[in-house]
Amino acid sequence: MSREKVKQYTFLIRQLTAREIRRKYARSYLGILWSVLNPLLSMAVLSLIFSRMFRRSIENYPIYYLTGYLVWQTFTAATVSSMSTLADNKTLLLKVRFPMELFILARVYTAMVNLAYSLLAYGVMLAVFRVRPRPALLLAPAVFLLLFLFALGISYLLSAACVFFGDVKHLYTVLLTLWMYCSAIFYPVSQLEGIMRRVVEHNPLYLYIDCLRGLVMEGRLPTPLASAQMFLWAAGAYLAGTAVFRRKRDRMIQKL
Amino acid sequence: MGETEISVEHVTMEFIRERDESTSLKEFLIKAAKGQRKRERLRALDDVSFSVDKGEVVGIIGTNGSGKSTLLKIISGALRPTFGRVAVDRSRVQLLTLGTGFDLELTGRENVYLNGAIIGYTKEFIDENYEKIVRFAELEGFMGEKVRNYSSGMVSRLGFAIATVREAPEILILDEVLSVGDLFFRQKSEARIKEMIGGGSTVLIVSHSTPVIRSNCTKAIWIEKGKLRCQGDPRQVCQAYEEMGRKR
Repeated sequence: MSREKVKQYTFLIRQLTAREIRRKYARSYLGILWSVLNPLLSMAVLSLIFSRMFRRSIENYPIYYLTGYLVWQTFTAATVSSMSTLADNKTLLLKVRFPMELFILARVYTAMVNLAYSLLAYGVMLAVFRVRPRPALLLAPAVFLLLFLFALGISYLLSAACVFFGDVKHLYTVLLTLWMYCSAIFYPVSQLEGIMRRVVEHNPLYLYIDCLRGLVMEGRLPTPLASAQMFLWAAGAYLAGTAVFRRKRDRMIQKL
Repeated sequence: MGETEISVEHVTMEFIRERDESTSLKEFLIKAAKGQRKRERLRALDDVSFSVDKGEVVGIIGTNGSGKSTLLKIISGALRPTFGRVAVDRSRVQLLTLGTGFDLELTGRENVYLNGAIIGYTKEFIDENYEKIVRFAELEGFMGEKVRNYSSGMVSRLGFAIATVREAPEILILDEVLSVGDLFFRQKSEARIKEMIGGGSTVLIVSHSTPVIRSNCTKAIWIEKGKLRCQGDPRQVCQAYEEMGRKR
């Protein structure tokens, strides 16, 4: 790809992302501040209810929860908004020359930008709860990068599926609920036993969440197995997503 | 005869359609299990061939559903034909249709940038030409407002202004664009099209309005039910088309 093209695509993705963010907060007074406030409010509510309950097994409940919540929120925002991208931009897709993938990329990128804003709140909370920054924290961007690739791959798959079957959307909402409970966002994994525990421990999102918690809260590095799993999930999802998207491109356009 | 700019050779477009297609996963699985997936071929274009020379203004007419839009999508590269081929330099093709690519929730200004990015302008180019676009669209003082509050005429003026601000000679495809806006803007946009033709642009106009084709085109092509009915002098083609309309 030539440099001009890359530049043009970057400009386009910026424009699309700016549009998403403007739209999202089009009618709100606080605008983008909500990206900062939302996780905080959610953290306050959950902490109020659960922090006593899990007092013994989780040391710093608000941060424990907030870490999981941010990863989870980013992933769901990215995938759910991507799912309908192709239908939303139907008229555009038929008239433009560049790859359809860019539209999905822009939505996933939007979720990451939102995450960046939320991280501001996260930073403040780390200070408030006296979590000392550790050298392991430097690995966090790598986790976000893997999360981004994983979300992108899943988004490709979902958006393609959504073109052919409208009800994937509803199915996915149900699946997300299940997935959320399997990601140990607001409870400690140690409370689970047997098969459920194994399911949670091999759930890619839990891997990202757990790794991030380790880095932030304990300065603990992921095990080689967990690192490999995280990497493979991201690479696998991304490759599967792009492959399906390429192969079905023509059929999708016809269908639109 | 100039050099050939667009060459459409034996283009056939078939859509594979499933009869009462399953729109849900459940239906799909049930039908697949029962082996009930009936497929049907729908021929949107049937062996269409023509060529357009550089600097020509070609009008494409046909009734609704005759395959005009499919043809445009193939020429612009959005669809790939089932058979046949289209030889054209796609990096210079620009398709202009109305009301596409605007986001109602954004302001006019934001939409200029978004839409410009979509049709391939660089940021610098839009920065430089922003004033010109606004002036041509006659929307001074409205750019800070959301497009939601624009009238449909304003939207189409803005779309037209963005798409035609580029000077470089290129291939411009207009999909039902000239027959909108008030009388004055229509004159202005027709003048702009003529200007672009003078600058060497090749233009493809799609319309079902014969006056538009008569007054702007140097050649006309009539497509009916996916087949090329006739091509040639705009007046003769339009006349034939109108006659068919009367007979129906």
